[in-house]
Parts: sequence; structure tokens; C-alpha cells
Amino acid sequence: MSTAGAYARSALFLVTALVLHLALFSDLRVLGVAPEVPMAIAVTAGLVGGPERGAVAGFAIGLGIDLYLPTLFGLSALIYTVWGYAVGLLEERIFRSAWWINVLVAAVATAGGLLVYAVLGELLGEANLYTDRLYVVMGVAAAYNLVLSLPLLGLWRWSWPRLLGEER
Amino acid sequence: MATGTRTRRSRVTLIFLLLSSATLLTLDARDFEPLQRTEETLTDLFSPLRTGADRLFDPVGDAWNAITGYDELEAENLILREELQQLEGQQILDTDAAIRLEALLDVLGLPYVQDIPNVVAEVVTANVGNFDRYSVQINRGSEDGVRNGMPVVTRGGLIGRIDGDPGRRHSRVALITDPGFEVGVLVVGSEDVALASGSGRGGPLIVGKGLEIDTEVAVGDEVVTSGVDRSRYPAGIPIGTVTEIDYDEARLLQILTVNPSANADNLSFVTVLLYDPLAEDS
Repeated sequence: MSTAGAYARSALFLVTALVLHLALFSDLRVLGVAPEVPMAIAVTAGLVGGPERGAVAGFAIGLGIDLYLPTLFGLSALIYTVWGYAVGLLEERIFRSAWWINVLVAAVATAGGLLVYAVLGELLGEANLYTDRLYVVMGVAAAYNLVLSLPLLGLWRWSWPRLLGEER
Repeated sequence: MATGTRTRRSRVTLIFLLLSSATLLTLDARDFEPLQRTEETLTDLFSPLRTGADRLFDPVGDAWNAITGYDELEAENLILREELQQLEGQQILDTDAAIRLEALLDVLGLPYVQDIPNVVAEVVTANVGNFDRYSVQINRGSEDGVRNGMPVVTRGGLIGRIDGDPGRRHSRVALITDPGFEVGVLVVGSEDVALASGSGRGGPLIVGKGLEIDTEVAVGDEVVTSGVDRSRYPAGIPIGTVTEIDYDEARLLQILTVNPSANADNLSFVTVLLYDPLAEDS
């Protein structure tokens, strides 16, 4: 598959994930908490593709979800970019690991990312982000992404087979 | 060598993306209109795809809610049955009460909401994340006369206000359930103006400021917007019914728990009151 084909697959994957998040996953709430699909996308992209692709995927999905959130446009893009990059860097330098470690990292990174999102959002003047409920959101969303990260890791590998093969 | 180049490139990419995000954040914070138009255009472009997916997956979401919220539904069903029985028994009284409330509002000099120009709007985006529990987006904007701060109502009463400068065809509504939402109210029959605020999704409203301890209030009293000078809200919009009265002896105030008359969850259509307090003054 050509590089252009890999990027096309990535774009298709991102758009599909965004539509599914808006139309389906945001309704599948447990304790009032929806899965954090965009965060899972950024984190798993970093785990599979490394820091650069993690950052790009995080930025793209962040911009997409920012269109639908009341918070400042660009806030999700900023945080998912940093998170995708950071997880990719960790994977590259530390983990290089078994699938189950990747899944655990995705869950922990989700919880951490939500905490950063809330704190940074509050610092930028957004209200109601850092609340008592935040820790419930972090816990449930991490559990959700523990499950979601498995198919997402597989889908990223499907998106970038040749690119990853060339780099290994 | 290749790894070094890749690392350098990934750093450059990161810096570029961070700068882009920071630029977008800054522009949005300054209400940069071209950015808002671009957002609207993108949302419009994406809209058919989203609407189709919504229709496709709605049954799944409904099934999920039925499974995860079964206990709540059962309890709610019981309450609704009881309420229905009471309503059937008091239908005649209710009609009478409506006439009395109308008369009371008239006596207080409160204008009717129906006289205020308004636009009906569809809720196009409900909550899609875990941090946006207190706002929805509607498909009416500045082209329809919508402005920042305008009250938003449903048949039941006030559900929120326009939050921030609207786009041309979209606006965001801050819901009354938001703990940061405050609205000037008065208990029908009293003259004390107080402040009501939200207490979270599904929770009651709390009237915690302004209602003196000797003001006569009873459980079951109606609470409406006060419409005091330059208030964002016209007078007489129903807010809810008093369900509990507590006393703050230290501050000599009454704390009212108010059951909202309008349900701010699962909204489909709302009405924006094109109310401008400054224009009303002049």
C-alpha cells in the first residue's frame, strides 16, 4: 500500500471514529460517563505509530471534537496532540511492549489526559471542568478505553502497515 | 541517523501542531469571526453524515439507556403513575390555578412571555463529551436575531440562556442546571427578589441568596423570573415549584429547594426569547 493510501486510510479511520463517537459512543454512558473515544484515538495512535503520528492523529481528532464542544476551539486539539506525542515517546523509549501493557498504558493515559484537560481548561478560564465528578469520569473513561484500545490498536496497524514496516 | 532525523522531524511537527492549537485557542477566545464561520461551515458539511449516523444508532443508544437505566426508569414510572392520579383528580383545580396565576402575574405587572418576539430552535448537539453536561447547541444564530444572554425556554419554563456570542446559524445554550448559572427570581405572591442557581444535572434549583427569613413562602409556591431592572430575563417565566424550605439563621435568609418546571434533559426543540432589556427600557 502506498503512503498516500496509508494516509487515506488514517483519514477514513479518524472520520469514522468521530462520527461513531458523536452518534453512538456519546450515548453509551455508565454513571453518566461516555467513552473518551478521541482520547483513545490519540493515545493508541501514539502507541502504534510513535510520537509524530500520535501528535498528528491527536491534533486531527481534537479539532474534530472541538467543533462540538462548548470549550475553546483548539483546547482538545492541544491536549490530544501533547498526549499522543507523549505516549508515543514513552512507547518508543520505554515500553516497546506486549499488547496488554499497551492496553494498560492506554487506560492510564486516558485518566491522566482527562486530568490535564480539566486543569488546563480551568486555567484557560473554562468552568465546571475540575469538579468532584472528575475522578469518576477519569475512572469510568479509563475502564472504557481499556476495552476500546484493543480494536483501536488493531485499526491503527491496519491503517499504517507499510509505514510501520519501513520503520521497523 | 534515520532515527535521529525522525526524532527531529517529530519535534518540529509537535511544535507546529502546538503553535497551531495555541493560535486557534487565542483566536477563539477573541471571538475571531472568520474562525467561527469556518467552524460553522465545517459543522454544516459534517452535518448530513452525523444526522445519518444518529438515525442509524439511535435505537442502540435507546436500548443501552433502557438497560443501564432500568431501575431509574422503574422508579420514575412509579412516580409518574402517582402524579398522573393526582393530576386526574385535580384537573379542574389546575385550570383554576392557571387562571389565578395569570391574574396574579397581571397584578404584579409581569408581562406575558408570549408577547415577546421569539424563534423556535432545534437542539442540534446535545452532550458529546464528559465536560459539557450543562450546554447544548441550537440551530439559530445571529441571522435569526439571537444575541448573547437571551433567555431560552420550553413549554415548562426557563431552561437556560444563550452563552457567548452566537454564530450566524448556531448558538450555544447554557442550561439552568449548570451550578454556575444564576437567575433572579421571586416567589409568586412575594416581592423579595432572590437568586436561584443550578445544582447539577437532574438536581433541583437552589434559591440561596436574597430571600429574607420573614418572607412568607410555602412548599408548593411557584417561582418565576423576577425581571427586575435590566435583568437578562423578562419577568414571569416559570422556574419551578418550592419543594423544601430551610433557614440560614446566621444570614437571616431562607434557602429554597425548587423543583424545575422545565426539563433541561433530552431537549429537542427550544424557544429563544429575543428579549433585550435595554430596548425594553427605552
